[in-house]
Amino acid sequence: MNHPAIRYIVIIGTAAFLQYTVFSQFRIAGVSADLFLVVAIAAGIVAGSERGAVVGFLCGICLDLLVVTPFGLGAISGLVAGVVAGLLEGATIHSARWLTAAIAFLSSGAGVVAFAIAGALLGRPDLLSLRVLTVTLVVGASSALLVFPAVRVCRWADPEVGRLRAAVR
Amino acid sequence: MASSRRGGRSRITIGLLLLSAVLLLTLDGRGSGPIDSVRSSVLTVLSPLGGAATTVASPFRNAWDSAFDQNDLKKENDVLREENDRLKGDISANSIAKEQLQQLLQLVGIPFVGDTPVVHTRVVSGAVGNFGDRIELDKGSSSGIERNMPVVTGQGLIGKVVEVGENRSVVALLSSGTFRVGFSVVGTAAIGIAQGTGNDGSLRGTNIDSRQAVTVGAITATSGLAGSPFPPNLPIGTITAVRTNEAALESTVDISMFANLNDLVYADVVLWKPAS
Repeated sequence: MNHPAIRYIVIIGTAAFLQYTVFSQFRIAGVSADLFLVVAIAAGIVAGSERGAVVGFLCGICLDLLVVTPFGLGAISGLVAGVVAGLLEGATIHSARWLTAAIAFLSSGAGVVAFAIAGALLGRPDLLSLRVLTVTLVVGASSALLVFPAVRVCRWADPEVGRLRAAVR
Repeated sequence: MASSRRGGRSRITIGLLLLSAVLLLTLDGRGSGPIDSVRSSVLTVLSPLGGAATTVASPFRNAWDSAFDQNDLKKENDVLREENDRLKGDISANSIAKEQLQQLLQLVGIPFVGDTPVVHTRVVSGAVGNFGDRIELDKGSSSGIERNMPVVTGQGLIGKVVEVGENRSVVALLSSGTFRVGFSVVGTAAIGIAQGTGNDGSLRGTNIDSRQAVTVGAITATSGLAGSPFPPNLPIGTITAVRTNEAALESTVDISMFANLNDLVYADVVLWKPAS
């Protein structure tokens, strides 16, 4: 249970359970918060873009199992969100709560847009409709709020890396 | 030096993950069996949880919906009032309108599935993600439901079955754009192909011969042409806009679905399979 990989699996499993049973039911303009993206972003913020990519990929696979869109789109979306979060976090020179929220907003936007573009490239042009804007805004806003508890959970999963990165800053 | 090595490893990892995602997309696009089996297994495991969660969360969700969708409800109410007034006026105004209404009622009534047996189901869960609308029904293969069977409500076609567990099935909604349906325009010889636009209850119909007289307000139903995965005459919706490309001799139409996809409680799976 002490290995980060096992802890991340527990976190992703819990996120999948909560997304399926709770979060998917509460929607604004037909859009719900995306816990998978939130976990990917939090992992990217805590442990960098590589860890964000791996966690995002696994989160995306979980999402792909639960939806009817082509299998692999969620993986690309989570991967992009995790990488962008890690890169943005690495590019900042000081930490602040508003900065973390902004990174979450931008990263989730990147994930949503990546999903829509990849879907459109695969012959699903309907995914690249105006609805993407609504999804980006609602998912971005909810990610900006949910990222704080998610970062704490990811620090529990990755205590060494989290401490190291905090010390470097 | 160590930093650049770490950066290189990081890029390789990300590249490999990206390649894996593309591989999965390719396998899924080719209709890979293992992916479908895994999705069905996950459905079987998670479905009871989803059903229980929907029941428990129902009062909270209603409160949430009324808080955030109040404007939508008001708009919908206004539209319904307007439509009601218009129908009343039409009925009293002339007998032609009465006949049209009669035809409409016949089309949107459940008898449109004729003698084809249906399985009555309850919608137990809505969409999980934010793209690719789907719903979950409380019956599956043990009730005779199979993949690709059409799903209707009393108002018309809403989608088709895409995953089947023993006691659960997943329906891709027609509006999601995950599949296409051949349609005919009632009262004309026009046929075309409709696909969801990703917006609630809105479809785009293409490949219509522009020489056919297709008008706004005309009713569309499944064409059921040979090879179609849907039986004929399942009502789809009304045409709300027509665009004609004279050069291509082709018309494109916007279709507003009869069925309200926002508040699905019950749905019928039509036990119909295309003739081989």
